[in-house]
Amino acid sequence: MAPAILFNQVSKCYRVGRGLASLFAIFGKQDYSETDKFHWAVNDVSFEVQPGEALAIIGPNGAGKTTTLKLLSRVTQPTSGQIQVNGRFSALIELGAGFHPELTGRENVYLNGIILGMKRSEIRARFDQIVDFAGIEQYLDTPVKRYSSGMYARLGFAIAAHVDPDVLLVDEVLAVGDYAFRMKCYNRMDELRAKGTSLLFVSHNMEDVRRVCDRGIVLYGGRKVFEGIAAEAVAEYANALRDNASSSRKSRKVGENLLAQKVMTHAARIERVEMIGADGIPIRTVRSGETVHVEVEVQFFEDAEAPVFASAFYGPNGEVVYDTTTRLLGVSTPNFRAGDRAVIRYELTMNLIDGLYRLTTDLAYNDLSCYYDYVADALSFVVVASDPAKGIANLQTDVSFEMIESQAVREPI
Amino acid sequence: MAVSSLGAISEYHELLFAWASRTIRARYQQSVLGGLWAVLQPAATVAIFTIIFTQFIPIDTGVPYVIFAYTAMVPWTFFAASISDMGDSLIINMNLVSKIYFPRQILPIAALLARLMDFCIAGSILVLLMIYYQVPFFALGWLFIPFILITQMVLALGIGLTAAALNVFYRDVKHLIGLGLQLWLYATPIVYPIDVVPERFLPFYFLNPMVGIIEAYRAIVLRAELPGPYIFISVGIATVVFIFGYWFFKRVESQFADLV
Repeated sequence: MAPAILFNQVSKCYRVGRGLASLFAIFGKQDYSETDKFHWAVNDVSFEVQPGEALAIIGPNGAGKTTTLKLLSRVTQPTSGQIQVNGRFSALIELGAGFHPELTGRENVYLNGIILGMKRSEIRARFDQIVDFAGIEQYLDTPVKRYSSGMYARLGFAIAAHVDPDVLLVDEVLAVGDYAFRMKCYNRMDELRAKGTSLLFVSHNMEDVRRVCDRGIVLYGGRKVFEGIAAEAVAEYANALRDNASSSRKSRKVGENLLAQKVMTHAARIERVEMIGADGIPIRTVRSGETVHVEVEVQFFEDAEAPVFASAFYGPNGEVVYDTTTRLLGVSTPNFRAGDRAVIRYELTMNLIDGLYRLTTDLAYNDLSCYYDYVADALSFVVVASDPAKGIANLQTDVSFEMIESQAVREPI
Repeated sequence: MAVSSLGAISEYHELLFAWASRTIRARYQQSVLGGLWAVLQPAATVAIFTIIFTQFIPIDTGVPYVIFAYTAMVPWTFFAASISDMGDSLIINMNLVSKIYFPRQILPIAALLARLMDFCIAGSILVLLMIYYQVPFFALGWLFIPFILITQMVLALGIGLTAAALNVFYRDVKHLIGLGLQLWLYATPIVYPIDVVPERFLPFYFLNPMVGIIEAYRAIVLRAELPGPYIFISVGIATVVFIFGYWFFKRVESQFADLV
């Protein structure tokens, strides 16, 4: 099948430093002087996205993420390289771009829908769905200037997500919504992908990236420095943040698409996630090196054959500190029946340096094809260390000291 | 290339009309008088010139000065307001231009269409004035009105597309348009009759395409005559200006989003 997006050795160069262009420059003639500076916002970047696939683009500010989306949506032209997008796309570069503050919600739904490429008749057919998704029924005839920023964003997302695009470009837009709305957006994106929509996702929220995407590329200074499965890309990005010299890093081969089509079935529900201290009561503060229990209570609604429990700990900068599953640990899980209720208990030694940590937990099918349930940020807790070190792990250091040879002048007795 | 981008317009016609209607609704949203402003604008200008040219410096215009001036002021207001709006149409919607792709000419063309609405409202008052002053209605001539109107819109579009594109690069254009339109009003027989223009000026005078257009409106509406051959000068110039404007706009269009 033809890829939904083909981005082939694309570069985009901006000229910086000079204010006004000359008339020659307007006509696209070469008019560059020695003093002009150039900025390669995107430099020789290639990638493909297959239909139904979700690709994350991550990287620090100024890495070229938004420029990449603008190139894809034809807003701006590449300096060199080829870009191919097959099918209709809907770009969420900014929620509600094109909303007119004086017009009502209803009028803006039509206007924005048409801007995004829908026909009036298509919008009419989906109008109720859009309004329902945004949850703004009672404010439909209110000018959007009176909307809260949350309502504004919800309506913007609802419209873009109902264009039924072949390619959906999402740029850092879920950050504004509350938790419930973000969950709704996730589900809508899953629905669209099940129908074959490809997703290009730009976010600084690594949890969103891991939740939404199969694969990820890391951009740094306009160059692609990594391509792989989303979780690897997230980890790589955390490394890149520390390693400013990463522009020399070579692209790695694309990993196997392990997270593809991981969709939640809700056949079981994670009811409770708690961290239990030594004295048996739930805690949120852990001493570095302390042994604690994490309990995850699950309610099964359908039979589950040897499901895989997974837990991932994230550090203060969003980096993965520890990510494991019952399978990786070599623990065999039993088969559960519909109506069963079970607790899985992990015993962990928290050899971490001080900081705020988060725990994400999920329950996956035996073949890892789908999630029963997935709870991002199920728990957050603080680690306090008596010796404030840097890094990730507390390697439980004991320090001793021995003098081999001393040059110190002996005091005459 | 021009053909394919005109094709894009038909593909995007829903956006064009939605944007024009958005512009109209937004213009009169939260205003008490709403569409009446479309009438007040030319009417107020006509009122002040009526005082000047009937009381201070009486001038012979054949028909009452009010209808004489209003007949020209309505199309002129449309012309001037549409050029001014088209010139601003890209820069005031830069957030859209830099975020979403669509053929960029949609914005200036929609600005023009939105002003056409005002023209129709103000034009309906002209009909009332004709009845009041018992100006004979020249049915055959009125069949030519759409043709003159299109000539005027083509001319406005040519100037407006050029201005909109240049405005993205140099904001001076915005001020230049305001100044240019102010001078142009007096270079066109709107508040005075063409008879007062000295004979030796006329060959140059008619090179102003708005002269032929305004004279054509007056001939049909006030004198029950068909426009003279001078209208072809206007049609010719309007066509050339339009072709240049469109070509220029498409030529530099791809750079708009990079120049926010």
